[in-house]
Amino acid sequence: MGQAALVAEMPVYPVVEVRGFCKRYRNQVAVDSVDLSIQPGEIYGLIGPDGAGKSSLMKAIAGVLSFEGGKVQVFGIRIDSEAAAERVKGRIGFMPQGLGLNLYAELSVEENIDFFAQLREVPPGLLAQRKRQLLAMTRLEEFRDRPMKQLSGGMKQKLGLACTLIHEPELVILDEPTTGVDPVSRRDFWAILAELLRERGITALVSTAYMDEATRFQRLSLMYEGRVLAAGEPDQIRQAVPGSLVEVTVEPQIEALRRLKAKYPQVEAVGPVLRTFVDGVSSKAAREQVAASLDDLSVEAIQAVDSELEDAFVALLRQRKLAGQPAAGAAGTPLAEPPASDEVAIKARGLTRDFGIFRAVDQVSFRVIQGEIFGLLGANGAGKTTVIKMLTGILPPSAGQGQVAGADMRRARQAIKEHIGYMSQAFSLYQDMTVLENIRLYARIYAVPRSQLKQRIDWVVEMAGLQGVEDRLAGKLPMGIRQRLALGCALVHRPRVLFLDEPTSGVDPIGRRRFWDILVQMARVEQVAILVTTHYMSEAEHCDHVALMYAGRIIADASPVQMKQALQQEAGQLLDIATDRPLRALKALEQAGFAGVALFGRRIHLLAKDPQQARQQIESRLTQQGISLLDITPRIPSLEDVFVYRVMAREKEARSQ
Amino acid sequence: MTHSTWNSSGSIYLWWSRMAAMTSKELLQLARDTLLVLAVLYLFTLDIMMAGGVKMDLSKATVVVHDADHSPASRELIYRFQQPYFQLGGEILDQKEGIRLLDQGKALMVLDIPPRFQHDLIQGRPTEVQVRIDTSNTVLGTLAASYSGQIIGQYGFDAALQRMGLTAEGLAAVPMFVDRHRVWYNPNQKDSWFMSISELLTVITVLAMMLPAAAAVREKERGTIEQLLVSPLTPVQILLPKVVAMTLVILLGTALSLTLVIKGIFHAPMKGSLPLFFAVTAMYTFTMSGLGLFVSTMSRNLAQAAMMIIMIMMPIILLSGAWTPPEAMPVGIRQAMYISPLYYYIEVSYDILLKGAGIGILWDSLLGLSLLGSLVFGFGVWRFRRQFRS
Repeated sequence: MGQAALVAEMPVYPVVEVRGFCKRYRNQVAVDSVDLSIQPGEIYGLIGPDGAGKSSLMKAIAGVLSFEGGKVQVFGIRIDSEAAAERVKGRIGFMPQGLGLNLYAELSVEENIDFFAQLREVPPGLLAQRKRQLLAMTRLEEFRDRPMKQLSGGMKQKLGLACTLIHEPELVILDEPTTGVDPVSRRDFWAILAELLRERGITALVSTAYMDEATRFQRLSLMYEGRVLAAGEPDQIRQAVPGSLVEVTVEPQIEALRRLKAKYPQVEAVGPVLRTFVDGVSSKAAREQVAASLDDLSVEAIQAVDSELEDAFVALLRQRKLAGQPAAGAAGTPLAEPPASDEVAIKARGLTRDFGIFRAVDQVSFRVIQGEIFGLLGANGAGKTTVIKMLTGILPPSAGQGQVAGADMRRARQAIKEHIGYMSQAFSLYQDMTVLENIRLYARIYAVPRSQLKQRIDWVVEMAGLQGVEDRLAGKLPMGIRQRLALGCALVHRPRVLFLDEPTSGVDPIGRRRFWDILVQMARVEQVAILVTTHYMSEAEHCDHVALMYAGRIIADASPVQMKQALQQEAGQLLDIATDRPLRALKALEQAGFAGVALFGRRIHLLAKDPQQARQQIESRLTQQGISLLDITPRIPSLEDVFVYRVMAREKEARSQ
Repeated sequence: MTHSTWNSSGSIYLWWSRMAAMTSKELLQLARDTLLVLAVLYLFTLDIMMAGGVKMDLSKATVVVHDADHSPASRELIYRFQQPYFQLGGEILDQKEGIRLLDQGKALMVLDIPPRFQHDLIQGRPTEVQVRIDTSNTVLGTLAASYSGQIIGQYGFDAALQRMGLTAEGLAAVPMFVDRHRVWYNPNQKDSWFMSISELLTVITVLAMMLPAAAAVREKERGTIEQLLVSPLTPVQILLPKVVAMTLVILLGTALSLTLVIKGIFHAPMKGSLPLFFAVTAMYTFTMSGLGLFVSTMSRNLAQAAMMIIMIMMPIILLSGAWTPPEAMPVGIRQAMYISPLYYYIEVSYDILLKGAGIGILWDSLLGLSLLGSLVFGFGVWRFRRQFRS
């Protein structure tokens, strides 16, 4: 009662108020009774995988989608008719999903901004001033005259943001602005967004499929299949999930993983560390339980750590039994060491590809051996897809040589095609055909003999966990299952080499984990060589070998462990800092001149040559700013640390030239 | 190692097996596209029924009369303008009214009978009537002019005979030509035969270009083409199944149309060999699908492809003789008709279906069609292969 009275007294009304929102597409329920309330000045997040209902909800709030049930109120005006939606549209900025989808490809950066300004009737004087500010902040100034289609993914999104903000709306709605954008550009985008919103006091509703971006929000709703699983501040949501996370470094890892997997449903190997989520117990009890089950192995380090939102999300789905069956068969997969064989599956020597005067790929060389998982990482437009296209024989190289599955890339393209599997970024199977029809088609294209056809199809269904959906149309399946189907089709002819181009973008965390379980099994058991690109650095940790591309060149090429060691030798010890206000602390530490300062979830990472001295500096700096320091831990850098550091260093170099 | 040992490409069996897999995939996808299936069904049945129902003839054209004579003679002339060709739209009092009705399109023809019309007829003096016709639609205008000329001429002839005091029996003594028509191939001159077959040929032309082009562009739009390109399929193995599948669909539709509509409803005779007609149709769809594939290589989406197909189709139909007989074409254009595949196809189709002609008569058209066909199809395939080379 007292609380209710307090709310009534508050002068501010929520900018957005949603009660019991329901949206159906024909018979399919997209969003089911969702409540949401956004306060002025807040950055509110919607987090969830594809098909969670984020887009439908956002479109309804922006007044561009009708809905079946519930109440949506924006600026205190109930959106129940076209007319009501028109009344609030002028005060809203909406950026739909998709890289640069709301922009015009042929228009230049400046023309795009001008167009949106005219659409919103911004007076010319005001436009010139705002344009100057926005171009400066987004660092697009020097690209003013460049056509939008020639911008990189990250730049397109920044331009989209500028166009959305040109009429200074009171509320911006951004639908997955960072999907398909590489980690470095993603960070850049968030920093700019936060600053713009804070300066202008704009309220924002932003959705994302990346769990680690949760820190960027004051409050958020965790969505899955049209429902809200949890809502509130990121920390509250994490803590509300009963259970604790234990990280352990142990030898031999395979044995430990086998034991833990048998006992706990949520175990993940990230490099040398095993992360285990123990349901329903305190951190101390969890640590003891994990230690007890590994007591006869040599445990190097064991500690209970704060779970990240992704851990909490996976645990929530699991505990509420929403995510379907656990990974079939893969749970007990023996994770052998990286293969000892030296049978080369892919060999690239000096691969180069020019498009006109633009060199997309420049002297790329690497090798992948049979049974190895090789990760090709890099920002948008770094040339990863072009490398894959050359190796799969779609695109002839301008210079250089390559061998795939023992055949020469230039002379024996046909032979290569018969021995490789390929899965592209977009779902490229036939959506109007059923699961079985798709598998059968590819089996016949790849000339699986009639006598083995049934056996191979059954194998794909079993391996990809497609039991029960065999006769459903591929287009009607959830994203995660579709990706497994695509993987199955790529594997139906037992290829020696598998190419995967961002296979998991937009897939939920459980789906991604399951997908990788299959990959690891294919590599270790079937000895398939796998070349994969991804924007999820946590996935790259599963690779045996990683090559980092920047502007068409490979700038680092080693195993994840070696990469991390190299980073430490070069730039110093990684310190993991927890504070009560991460975004402000980030800014303060950047200004203090530390190397490699970057936000990771709720924590800040930086690199220090002299950790002792750095500690003191951090402490004093944060105290000065009135930020309380909770904890500083030295850590082994993650691949994301490596990626961010390497790419940012290159970008700085490029900018200073 | 059991890996991939079964993959030995180049064997003929493999080639056919891949073709069969891809062809059945195309048919399956077409069958799943309800809207497309309905459109194809509509074009082969209802559309052809409608076209067969269209009459090329003058039907109840409105004639208004300015009768300044009001005599039995003028009345008789007026009442000779009868249905089915004409109908009387009433009398007007002055010339301007007539012009106004023509302007407004309320009358197709104004018949103007001068004063003293009957008087002059009886006196045996020359007299004139004036006919004004709206010829903005040339077909209707020409027909109206020709029919009204016949009616008035016949009236004059009858009046002359009457004045000479000759009866029907006495006519035999008058020296005159009697012209007797023999109408061949379509004895009752039914428009429905010509129109429905003509429409069927147009439908075949549109679909033969559209269906393969749509199938190819859709793969591009949805990104499925990438998956095919990295597979061991050759470009021809990707493209040919689309043509084969769509040709099958068109042949099926043609059979449906011929039996249900053209024979079933309009009772057209089907004189020649149907296997020959279907063989020619298959050849023709291959030719046109070559153009469709060419279009698909130029366009990024379905809308672009549809626009280009309309652009290409118009001259092909114009130059085919479907709308205007070749004899009516000016000299330069008449030569250009030899490059319209539809020209040959129309000629061959009418000859087979209505005249019962066989290869002995049609060999030159068939030769023209097959030469043009291999050229166009070859070009389409070449473009299709080339677009993935860059």
